[in-house]
Amino acid sequence: MKKISGRAIYFSFTIVPVILYSFFYVYSVISGVRYSFTDWDGMSPEFNLIGFKNYEALFKNPNFWNSLKTTVLYSIMLVVGVIVLSLLLAVSLNSLRKFRTFMKSVFFVPAMIGGITIALIWDQLFYRVVPLIGKALGIDWLSQSVLMTGNTALLAVIFVHIWQAVALPTVIFIAGLQQIPDEQYESAKIDGATVFERFRYITFPYLIPTLTVNLVLMVKQGFTSFDFPFALTGGGPVRATEVIGILIYNDAFKKYEVFSSKCRSLCIVCYCSCFFIDTDEIDK
Amino acid sequence: MKREGFGWKIARNLFLLAGLGLILVPLYLVVINSFKTLEEAGRNFFSFPSSLNFVNFQSLFSNSNYWGFAVNSLIISVISVSLILILVPAVSYAIARNYTKRYYKGIYFYLLMGLFIPSQVIMLPVTKLMTNLNLLNRQGLILLYAAFSLTQGVFLFVNYIRGLPYEIEESAYMDGCNVFQTYTKVVIPLVKPMIATLIIMDLLWIWNDFMLPLLILNRSQENWTLPLFQYNFKTEYSFDYTMAFTAYLMSMLPMLIVYCFRTKTYY
Repeated sequence: MKKISGRAIYFSFTIVPVILYSFFYVYSVISGVRYSFTDWDGMSPEFNLIGFKNYEALFKNPNFWNSLKTTVLYSIMLVVGVIVLSLLLAVSLNSLRKFRTFMKSVFFVPAMIGGITIALIWDQLFYRVVPLIGKALGIDWLSQSVLMTGNTALLAVIFVHIWQAVALPTVIFIAGLQQIPDEQYESAKIDGATVFERFRYITFPYLIPTLTVNLVLMVKQGFTSFDFPFALTGGGPVRATEVIGILIYNDAFKKYEVFSSKCRSLCIVCYCSCFFIDTDEIDK
Repeated sequence: MKREGFGWKIARNLFLLAGLGLILVPLYLVVINSFKTLEEAGRNFFSFPSSLNFVNFQSLFSNSNYWGFAVNSLIISVISVSLILILVPAVSYAIARNYTKRYYKGIYFYLLMGLFIPSQVIMLPVTKLMTNLNLLNRQGLILLYAAFSLTQGVFLFVNYIRGLPYEIEESAYMDGCNVFQTYTKVVIPLVKPMIATLIIMDLLWIWNDFMLPLLILNRSQENWTLPLFQYNFKTEYSFDYTMAFTAYLMSMLPMLIVYCFRTKTYY
């Protein structure tokens, strides 16, 4: 009785997490898939199996294609914006001699503030400050509220998302930069390499593993974005910023069209599993 | 060659200054305008307030249940993170030290499955499940956070623990420790840096999270967390935006204070 075998203890470590995860997470995902084959409306106790009819309706629905397009566009712009800016920031910050710690701390501040706070602050700024600046500079599209017209609304939401999301990839890039041995730069300098050549042939190759980490991180954030469009525009104007997360939320919790929204969720599963396969290959 | 380096320096400093402005100006505007009355802010949005007046803060604290929401946020964050800290390292340790066995490898990939499933997919089923279980409250939310954090936490921890040298644990066994004692006395101190990362990651996520509280806690106002409070503040008080700024400031301040007193975890 005195000795408890090691295997029993190892096993006991896994029980609670596995139950929690299965019950709240896996069960939810599976029941989501199940509901997508029924005509359940989210409220009534009874529902029937109807096969693939939901999927047919979904693929014929223009709103779904619109939001899929918006989501893809959103993700591409977010990924490109964040990667380029965070790379530039990391290289710049890393080469600083004075105020380095101070600057790094300030550039990390947006990551500490929640998405909803940032979205609401920028919401106010877009209404009250940006039009003033637009008028002062004589730029037409800036002088009215950018959240009111289709194209600029999407850009504004992405801008705010980038404003917050840049911080973390920058930190990861800086960590990557610090692993590069100084000797390489010194010998390159002696050979007469310019700043850009040094970046192209020394810095960049070293950063490729970090780059994939950041890319995966940002792609995930882009495809699952919810907070920023929800608080800034709620999907409007005229569905211009209706990413898939917003579409699901609005359909399910405002119109109670649960069954069709489940299909949309399932589509997300499909394209996200594609990314999962991709990253698996990159790691090896 | 020298001129080139100089040009790069100027470009770099201009870029950094622009970035600094883009981050600090919005925050500056929030802070100064939360000290102004609506009338004063209307006169000049950008100027420093003529006098420090705390009217907005007073009415925020007296008219709304700000402290109640802050306490909700605090309770949910602290209990969830504690629960995560009990569960994640233990299960990761079991997996990492039995990686060759089929059961543990199976659990590992079972937990990793969740990495790329976006939260919107489970939005509805989770709400339905929690309604059925009568868990649309703080306890339910804490359980959800514990369950949802497993994926990323286990992913980080298993790789880290597998990198640790096994000899230290072996000598603990020689001295008569069982697995549990080895875990608490040897492994936990070794994974401290990872624990710090986990705390910060999950604390930031849970404190700032908006979607899960929106789904789980939106029914009754007494359960709200700070992000929910802010969002509803927007619709309620949109006429008085200096008040809104005060509310936003008071919601981001706790995390910024924590950040100022942080140990050197990030840099």
